[in-house]
Order: sequence, then structure tokens, then C-alpha cells
Amino acid sequence: MEDYGLDLHGTLLLEEYRKLRPALMKMKGVALSIIREDIADKNLYVTATEARVKEEQSLAGKLALKGAKYASAHDITDLLGVRVITFYSDDVEKIAAMAENLFIIDRENSVDKRKMHQLDSFGYNSLHYICRIPRRLYQDSEFPEINDIPFELQIRTSLQHVWATLYHDSGYKSGVEVPKEYLRQMNRLAGMLELADEQFCLIRSGINDYRRRVQSLVADGRLEEVALDGDTFKSYLSMRPFDALNHRIASLNQAEIQEAPLQSYLPVLKDLGLTTLGDVQQMIYDCQEDAYRLASYQLGVTDIDIITSAVALQNLCIIKILRQGGGKPGLQALFDQINGHSGSNASLAEMIYKQAETLKLI
Amino acid sequence: MEITITNNDNAMVCAFKGRLDTPASLQASKDIQPLLDNADKEIILDCTDLEYISSSGLRILLGIRKETARKGGKVIIKNIREEIRQVFLMTGFYNLFEIQDA
Repeated sequence: MEDYGLDLHGTLLLEEYRKLRPALMKMKGVALSIIREDIADKNLYVTATEARVKEEQSLAGKLALKGAKYASAHDITDLLGVRVITFYSDDVEKIAAMAENLFIIDRENSVDKRKMHQLDSFGYNSLHYICRIPRRLYQDSEFPEINDIPFELQIRTSLQHVWATLYHDSGYKSGVEVPKEYLRQMNRLAGMLELADEQFCLIRSGINDYRRRVQSLVADGRLEEVALDGDTFKSYLSMRPFDALNHRIASLNQAEIQEAPLQSYLPVLKDLGLTTLGDVQQMIYDCQEDAYRLASYQLGVTDIDIITSAVALQNLCIIKILRQGGGKPGLQALFDQINGHSGSNASLAEMIYKQAETLKLI
Repeated sequence: MEITITNNDNAMVCAFKGRLDTPASLQASKDIQPLLDNADKEIILDCTDLEYISSSGLRILLGIRKETARKGGKVIIKNIREEIRQVFLMTGFYNLFEIQDA
């Protein structure tokens, strides 16, 4: 055993730590998995969850400085440290609420560093909870002390984490007293990152508001007011606008309809010059009869009784391309778009074009 | 209908020969079991000698696709004949499968 030159009290605390270390290692995995499972259950997305058991050398350093304030190793609250790093500052509150429900929180010793700053000061921002694992969540007959040992849970944003890590490296732990001008610069950066964190939250709220507004416009049928993009098209697809035509086509052979992804049609629709969901709806109204006639011509003479939900949109696009004068190159471009570029798409385009001529769709 | 399955390093290659029609589909659905068992890999369906496909055959291919989607694999259809490509197009299956030329 290494001798750190501690007094008797410090040496006894260190000995107690060594005995606790296997339980701490076990506890690290338990605490992490409890947190990770709950984060996943609540559909929260965080940057990282991590944990560490305090190294012996680091603890010895701490005991040398302030060992007298601890009666036993159980009073040292950071022997196990768990950290959750979030993308957004709003999520710090959500993780905190989650931790309050999961663990037994020692409020007296927990610290919200975010609230410790004066109006005119900036710096370390992080929420520290001192927790214990309740027996209802985990019990281990081999390590019964797991429910009694406190651990420190730090919750901070990615930007707070970057700042804290750099500050730790450049100031607090470098062993050299850092001149005040550099500390002032670090704190200025903390203020800037706090603003950035707030801004990210505002942007996220803005995007969520926009999505809700679009969903409401789609639900109200005000499609001409909604620009066609990835988000709005997804909302539109959730209304299943092509179902009626798909069912009509399926009824030709009493076919079953298998779901197929339609999101890949977005660039096709944009290439066709459609700029709003209203334009897509208009294409359905304008082209559905011819799209049905084409499907009827193709499938009506077969006994195929399975199609995918992409048939309606595919045929609508074919009709729209032909009406716009896109001809065979336009059809070939469509097939390249939905199934990748292939030499065979030219002959498919040729075949469809001939069918369209036969049906007088051109 | 003959189905030959070979297990390459990271991919299963399945070669179809003949007509994948309703009578052949019952046996085919049993023959392709190794593909479903290895649906976490890339599965290449070699259709060079596939002469015809019916709805039952399409359902077999769909079953392979669903299993690979569930297990994290991928299906690639290679060398399909013109007539079968047309069937894929008019049923909308063209939107479901990655089809590669020879």
C-alpha cells in the first residue's frame, strides 16, 4: 500500500475507502444503468452519461487537505461521480426531475451552481445532486452498502461541460496560480456560452412551434399555406393522402397493400415544381384519374394481388411528368430517383411512355 | 424452381432458377430459411435465372426484406430480367428494394 503521508485519521479513511472500492465499482454500473434506462424510457436525448470511481491518489490528496471534516468514508460524497451531459439547458431540469424521482436526494449537500452566481458574475454552471440508490430500485446481498453510500450526480449542458473541462485543465488543477486577467477571460467565455445555451433552447422551441403550426395548418386543410419540405411532407403523409387512390388501384385485383416509404418522393415533387402541400393536393385532384387508368392498364390483365402504398404516388408523378412534357427522360429521371441510377430505367421509361401513348395520356 | 444459397464472408447469396410462382412458393419459403436466419447480414438475391415471379414470390421477397429490416441487414436484388423489373415497377415494389444491374 502506498504511503501518502496522511495523518492517522486520513489513513483510516483511506483504508475504509479501499474496502468500499468493490462496492463502489458495482454501484457505478448500477447507477449508470438506472439513469440510462430512465433517460431512454422518457425519450430524452443526451450527449453522454458517464461515471467514475475516485482514484486512490486523488482521494489521498483530498484527505490531506480536508480529511478532518469527514467522520467516515460515507461522508465523502464524491467517491462515485456520475455525470449526465445534455444538449439543451432545458434538459438539465428534466434530468434533475428524473433524478429526484429515482434517487434519495440529500438536499442539504446538493448544490445548484447555476444559482450561486451574482447578477454580475459568470462561471461554473452545473447542478450537483448528492444521491443514494433506494432499495426499491436495487438491492445486492453481496454489497448491501450500495444503498447507503452517497454518490454525486452532476448534470450540465455540453457547453457547460466544455467550459468546466477547459477551466479545470487551465486553472484549478494546473498547480500554478492563474493570473486574474485569464480568469476574467474564462469567465467572459462562461457568460458567452450561457447565452449560447439559451439561444439553442430558443431555436429548439422555435422549431417545435413551427412544426406544431404546420401540423395544425395541415390538419385544418390549409395546405396552400404550407411550404413543401421534409417536415411538412412527413406531416402531410401522416394524413395518408394517397390512400384513396391506392385502395382504388388495389381493388382492381383485390390486392393487399404493403407499406412503402414515400419520403424519397420529396425531391421528385420539388423537381416537378411543387412548392406547397396545396400543390401536391392539386396534383392528386388533377392526375388521379389518369394515374388510375395507367395502373388499371398494367395490373388489370394480371392476377397480381399485392401492391405497395407507393403505387399511387408513383403513378401520379408519372402522369404529372408526362403532362409537363418531361417525356421519356423525365420518366427515367423519376425511376433513377426512386431506385437509383440504372441503365434499365431507360427501357422502363420507354415501356411506360408507350403505355401512356396507347392510353392517350400524352 | 431451384434455390441455391451460399454464405460468403459478409453476405448471403441466394440464386433463383426457374419460375417463382404459387406452386413453387411453398417449397421456396422453406428453402430461404437460412436467409431469414442470417438477416443481420447483406443478402444478395441473384435473379439472373429467375424467369417469372407471381404474387406469392413477391411475398417471399417481402418477407426477406422485413426480416433484414428487423435485424439490421440489407437486401440487394441483382440481375433481374426486364419483365420482372416491370412487375416490380407496376406493383410499387420498385420503391422497396435496391435493384442492381449486372
